[in-house]
Amino acid sequence: MSITLDIVTPEKRLLSVACDEVRAPGVRGGFGIRQDHTPFLSALEPGRLTYVEGGREHHYAVGGGFLQVAANKVIVLADSAEARDEIDVARAQKDFEEATERLRSMTEQDQNHAIESARVRRATARLSVAR
Amino acid sequence: MPNLRDIRKRIGSVKSTRQITKAMKMVAAAKLRRAQDAILKTRPYATLLERALSEVAARAGADAEKPAHPLLAPRVARNAEVVLVTSDRGLAGAFNSNVLRRSQRFMTENADRYAEVRVSTVGRKARDYFKNRKVRMQADYTGVNQQLRFEKAQEIAQELTARWLAGEVDAVFLCYNEFKSAISQNVVVRQLLPVETPPATESQAASVDFLYEPGREELLADLLPRHISMQVWRALLESAASEHGARMTAMESATKNAEEMIGKLTLDYNRARQAYITKELMEIVSGAEALK
Repeated sequence: MSITLDIVTPEKRLLSVACDEVRAPGVRGGFGIRQDHTPFLSALEPGRLTYVEGGREHHYAVGGGFLQVAANKVIVLADSAEARDEIDVARAQKDFEEATERLRSMTEQDQNHAIESARVRRATARLSVAR
Repeated sequence: MPNLRDIRKRIGSVKSTRQITKAMKMVAAAKLRRAQDAILKTRPYATLLERALSEVAARAGADAEKPAHPLLAPRVARNAEVVLVTSDRGLAGAFNSNVLRRSQRFMTENADRYAEVRVSTVGRKARDYFKNRKVRMQADYTGVNQQLRFEKAQEIAQELTARWLAGEVDAVFLCYNEFKSAISQNVVVRQLLPVETPPATESQAASVDFLYEPGREELLADLLPRHISMQVWRALLESAASEHGARMTAMESATKNAEEMIGKLTLDYNRARQAYITKELMEIVSGAEALK
């Protein structure tokens, strides 16, 4: 157990564990963190966040946010986050379909375009983690 | 001499009042516990976000003379906006009037600093108060209190930010009841915009600089709106918890007053009854005397 991981969302502190490795979806591509990582602050995409603890992988779906590493402490400030078995697949599927439907009738200039496409990405992240 | 039946009626009505205030106190206590819980749960996110923000902002600011992001840049303030957070319902002691009084004081104190101070209101009480006053209302957000949701806070924050960026207002303040404990609330006025970041601590400044992904400015542009939303969210939560706390205290003392009143009335009632019996006895006795 070489690093600690904290996941906090605006609603609550979701997780606080010691682990060996964290893999996260950065905006410039996925990255991994192990012991003695250099101080690092990255924005996160909606996607899969994994931590490895004693050879076992635990998966979380995060809906964007930030990740900060300093002194072997990893802090994830997620806009939303769910453990794999807490994901509501039916709801994610519905979100995905509705948002895709709305996106279809929009142009890229539409002011809601960014919001809806973010919704699609979050739903996709949930679905891919749940499967 | 008070009529026996009248006293009995009053005792009955005070008793039902006591029942209502007691029930309201209980409801407020239950809601307070939930509201307090919500504050505690958001606290880690808010603190960690603030810390990350101050780290990035402090280092970004150290690079150049000019502020790293427009939202951090103070400017000559002409117009100010104060967002008042109050409740929809009364019967909460001085909860609402404290906020209103504080905002009035803020306006008189800053009368020469700002050409105009506008108000925006959350909750019905503040809206009703300012409706008939010579103050320019910017916006009112009602229906926020019925069910507190983070999205609503985000919405308000976005509107405020947009107005600030457009130059309509030059400073935005939040005025709300800060939750200290169930029996004490404290009205505060906090500056929301431009964003003031706490200075980086010694250890932060001394430590190695972070690697940033994507870049400092982009990260700031991402962090700041979240920070502003969190400030608004916190104000809403603190105010909700304070409201329930204030109502609980108010209803507690109302229940106590009702109890006292019932005691006094019961005493009056018994006295009157005693007097009535005595009077009747006297009549019987004197009637019997007369027959002798």
